[in-house]
Amino acid sequence: MLATWLQALVSGLAIGGVYALIALSFSITFTTTKTLNFSQGEFIGVGAFLGVAVLYLLSGQDEGAALAPGASAGFNYPLAAIAVGAAVGVIGILLFITAVRPFAGKPGMSWVMSTIGFGIILQSIGLAIWGPAPVNLPSPFGDDVIRIAGAGVRPQEILVLVVAIVLMIGLDLLLRRTRMGKAMRAVANNPSVAALMGINVSAVMIGAFALSSALAGIGGLLVAPIASASIFMGLGIALKAFSGAIVGGLDNPRGCIFGGFALGLLEASVALWQAQWREIVIFLLIILVLAIRPQGLFGARTLDKV
Amino acid sequence: MRSPHQPTRRATLAGAATLLSAPFIFRSAHAAEDIKLGFNGDLSASPSAQSGRAAVVGIQAAMADLAREGGVLGRPLTLTIRDDLSQPPKSIQNMSDLIDNEKVVAVFGPTNSGNALAWKHIPNQKHIPVMGCIGSATDITKGTGGDNYMFRVGSVDRIQVVTLMGYAKKNPRSGKIGFLTETTGYGQGGLKDLQEVAQAQGLTPAANEKFNVNDTDMTSQLSKLKSAGVETALVWAQGTPIGQLMRSMDKIGYFPTVLTSWAADNLSFMNAAGPQLAEKPIFLRTVSETRSPRQQALFDRVRPNIDADSAFSFAVHGYDGTMLLARAIQQAGSTDGAKLREALENLNGSYEGFAKTYDHPFSRTQHDALGAADQRWTCWRDGKLAAYSDDIVASLKPEDFKG
Repeated sequence: MLATWLQALVSGLAIGGVYALIALSFSITFTTTKTLNFSQGEFIGVGAFLGVAVLYLLSGQDEGAALAPGASAGFNYPLAAIAVGAAVGVIGILLFITAVRPFAGKPGMSWVMSTIGFGIILQSIGLAIWGPAPVNLPSPFGDDVIRIAGAGVRPQEILVLVVAIVLMIGLDLLLRRTRMGKAMRAVANNPSVAALMGINVSAVMIGAFALSSALAGIGGLLVAPIASASIFMGLGIALKAFSGAIVGGLDNPRGCIFGGFALGLLEASVALWQAQWREIVIFLLIILVLAIRPQGLFGARTLDKV
Repeated sequence: MRSPHQPTRRATLAGAATLLSAPFIFRSAHAAEDIKLGFNGDLSASPSAQSGRAAVVGIQAAMADLAREGGVLGRPLTLTIRDDLSQPPKSIQNMSDLIDNEKVVAVFGPTNSGNALAWKHIPNQKHIPVMGCIGSATDITKGTGGDNYMFRVGSVDRIQVVTLMGYAKKNPRSGKIGFLTETTGYGQGGLKDLQEVAQAQGLTPAANEKFNVNDTDMTSQLSKLKSAGVETALVWAQGTPIGQLMRSMDKIGYFPTVLTSWAADNLSFMNAAGPQLAEKPIFLRTVSETRSPRQQALFDRVRPNIDADSAFSFAVHGYDGTMLLARAIQQAGSTDGAKLREALENLNGSYEGFAKTYDHPFSRTQHDALGAADQRWTCWRDGKLAAYSDDIVASLKPEDFKG
């Protein structure tokens, strides 16, 4: 019985780490620009496939055969992560320039449609290049199950958790301790005043989108060895991550991380009871949280002047 | 006043009638030469498209062999192919087009079971026999009152469940059985069959768990099976989630006997599970991996035109289905739909096909040519499909297949 609960805890933390990372990426653009990238799911899928492409290149393997188990070994996987982060970051800048900046700060919700549209374009291009079939991406630390007090976990799941936590701590420090972080928070607080103080508001916003997209891309590369890389893999993850962000409070990065982990743990424990009720329980809970605290558990209460 | 140069009304009408009837005269003259058959199924869109393409290859191989023998009723056969892109509306449209415009005498397909369920009323109303060779849903060939024009030479979910349950019941290891199904239409259709067949064979599942098609961690569901003492798990899902299920079993170190839907023959299962874990489940196909010399000859002939070794069974279904249809046309002495259906339901003599030798393959109530005895036990070995055998398989008798 203990092993069963421990297994649920381990599984929940592993998937929760991914949710938390993507939830944080939602928070980054929301706090700086008050907009969200609704195509974050497609960015995850594209990140995974770019990672596959880079690994093929680094391991010198023929495109016809599946990636060998050793293709991610050594520096290949970290190099792929850097390449994916940079490439998806650039796509994020493109998204900001074409689909967000023209509409941000204007009345209406045009940016919702334009970011969704950008995602559909991205997905269609991805389908044309890589096709709909899932592709295997080997984990850099092999595929053997590690046993912890009766519960089993794969090296990649631990890697996801560790990388997610390291990235989250790093970003937390960046936001709270550095001049750049201060600038980002200033822009979030009041863009006009920030601009008057000599902060390049435009650059901060572009940076926020690049960072947020890079996180989604790296998230895709991290999940691919667990779920297989596929252009559709990100949709479910992004939806859950967004839910986690809403529960935690979109404007509070730490709250988003909490929300992501909470959702992962909740999923694993509800499945212990009745797996087919998982989605129902999770979304009922989200509705409940929003009914009681519309700003999320850790969000700041804001008053909109009408 | 009418000008003398203007044609009379009668002449105009006669002329118009001649013009209008011209295409029909042409069509009936044309029909006297060719027997038109149709194919309606996914050839390009869904992951199952490769199965559809393989079936067409089998149908065309059979037609080539029939042409060498001088055709059917002395007339050559032609095949009109329509891709339904796995979309039900497109599939329905194709069906009407093939029957009403192309005037086919019978249709093969579809690739996706859901599409057959979407249009099976059309051939039943228009009295055009359909020979299924890919989609495996139990309800496709089920009659709905009145004459049933839906036939099949292929896998049937219900028959697979009945056969697997027979194994589960005889497995000395299976003190308790448990169900694991995917929450899609395919998985839940299978669950319904599993529950009904288990009841018919006097078995009660100790656990019944579900998972999403995109889940990557089913350890919670498996823990419940484990604590319920389940030693034989019956799994109904698509390839990738069955693969993830095997990985989750590995995580908690729990390996019951795993009997799965035939989706485990798909390469996507192999990719998700990895070569070692892929060797665990046992499943059923209609064509054994240890091919007879005759099957090997057909395999060598069609293999260049099909996408994967595992798609060969669909080429076999297409080939045998075409041959049975040809024999029915010969027996009926006509291409009339109602006579064809009657001939299929009372087919004389036996035909040595590639899946088996068919002896009265169909009856008025039974429209599936391949039954429990025609299932071939299969597993993965060294990254390839292989025939599976053990003492239980060897001991199974026809009376073990109830439900």
